[in-house]
Amino acid sequence: MILQIEAKKCKRTGFLPAVLLAACAASAFPILNMLVRAETFTAMAGTPFDILTDANWQMMAMLNMVLVICGACLMYHTEFADNGIQKMDVLPVRAGSLFFGKFVLLVLALCGMLLLETAVLTGCAAHWFPAYTWTFSETLQSAGFQLILTLPTVMLMLWVASACKNMWVSLGIGVILVFVMTILPQDSTVLQLFPFNTPYKTLATVQGAGDVPLFLGICGAETVAFGLFEFVFLQIRRWYA
Amino acid sequence: MNMIETQNLCKAYGDFTAVSDLNLHIQKGRVYGFLGPNGAGKSTTMKMFLGLTNPTSGSFQIDGKHYPADRVAILKEVGSFIEAPAFYGNLSGEENLEIIRRILGLPKSSVREALELVGLTQFRKRAAKKYSLGMKQRLGLAGALIGRPPILILDEPTNGLDPVGIHEIRTLIRSLPKQYDCTVLVSSHLLSEVELMADDIGILNHGRLLFEGTANDLKIRARDEGYPTDNLEEIFLAMIDEDNRKRGAGQ
Ligand SMILES: Nc1ncnc2c1ncn2[C@@H]1O[C@H](COP(=O)(O)OP(=O)(O)OP(=O)(O)O)[C@@H](O)[C@H]1O
Ligand SMILES: [Mg+2]
Repeated sequence: MILQIEAKKCKRTGFLPAVLLAACAASAFPILNMLVRAETFTAMAGTPFDILTDANWQMMAMLNMVLVICGACLMYHTEFADNGIQKMDVLPVRAGSLFFGKFVLLVLALCGMLLLETAVLTGCAAHWFPAYTWTFSETLQSAGFQLILTLPTVMLMLWVASACKNMWVSLGIGVILVFVMTILPQDSTVLQLFPFNTPYKTLATVQGAGDVPLFLGICGAETVAFGLFEFVFLQIRRWYA
Repeated sequence: MNMIETQNLCKAYGDFTAVSDLNLHIQKGRVYGFLGPNGAGKSTTMKMFLGLTNPTSGSFQIDGKHYPADRVAILKEVGSFIEAPAFYGNLSGEENLEIIRRILGLPKSSVREALELVGLTQFRKRAAKKYSLGMKQRLGLAGALIGRPPILILDEPTNGLDPVGIHEIRTLIRSLPKQYDCTVLVSSHLLSEVELMADDIGILNHGRLLFEGTANDLKIRARDEGYPTDNLEEIFLAMIDEDNRKRGAGQ
């Protein structure tokens, strides 16, 4: 029910167009890349899906994060613009259910995007590498892995958006975080486990390093931790409101 | 029986005390007018009742339930409107109420009823951000009244309404306890307004309660303390003035 309500609130806010736009842009990227430089990639050695992911995922992950940032900001802007959140706070629902509803909604949107993106990558691989036999489980595994790696980013971004009443502040923080993470040196494993950084990792590279359990575990823990953080934040805010 | 009761309720922001040692007694089935000048702490007190802000010390019970343990149970019984109308500008008036209706688990008809009660039926399909100030205020009231809650907490509900609207809302508030035995806590700056709506009056200044009782009690007290007038508004102003002078001397 809480999910239905949160979805309803997004009416006429531009949330759905933003998701569609980001999904289209991210999916168009590998297709364009192949149309322009197919020979470069077909000449490479390795699994076609991994070649394509390696070539395109940086950009696609960035677009996914932009969607997460914009989505979180839009959803909380709707709450703060006319103070709708105050009305929600005096209705008999448990603290944090509004936040949780928004989290699930954003994750569902992201889920759709990731499925479309991995499907397009698989499609490109099948089209430009005729010898490639693709499997459903491979595509799904990749999408699922990316989803879990993006969860901490979603949670953290929603917390930022819920803490800043001014949408431009949270938008700015989100963009700065993406930017800072891309310019930080990428050689330390600890840094790579930070939110806004994990989404760039692909299943193939992490598998190659044997770090799959590490990444999944840490991302899961980060997600839970940021969720609890929001819960504590909501309790503390009552003292200063 | 007291529907809302507070014991030495305090709220401090840093070293500024917005509400101090408040002991309110709001009886069931009556309209309680909460009166005070700007910054007296009326909204702050109401926000504490609704769990929007935590008391610094002291406690309160609403229908025998304690905050914070029974926060959700309290909110189930309270319809509220605090300071300014709170709504979703991107949704229509009807959609706004529909969200509240779903959360409260009310029957579908309650949205129509609430819209009719505040006279918004005609504009129910319009986006709330395109409402006029008075229409927004009415939408806020509809959100408080929907589902006929047993307790109503209304912070300056007639703010921004036209004279006809003010009269309508006053009459509505006045009639609610008789209609379905609810308890109303309503705040205002104007004693003349409170006098028309309320059975009991509480006067607040700088976070402290100066008076609690009926309008008649207030007149008797004014006579006993030698205020020269019978006009309630003037008594109110004289009381506030006197309290401010005492505070000035105390500092
Ligand atoms: N979040 C806050 N931080 C600091 N001070 C606050 C905060 N909220 C309210 N105050 C202060 O508490 C005092 C009481 O405010 P409150 O809004 O309760 O007054 P009020 O009686 O509702 O006044 P009005 O009639 O103008 O609505 C004011 O001096 C206000 O500045
Ligand atoms: Mg106020």
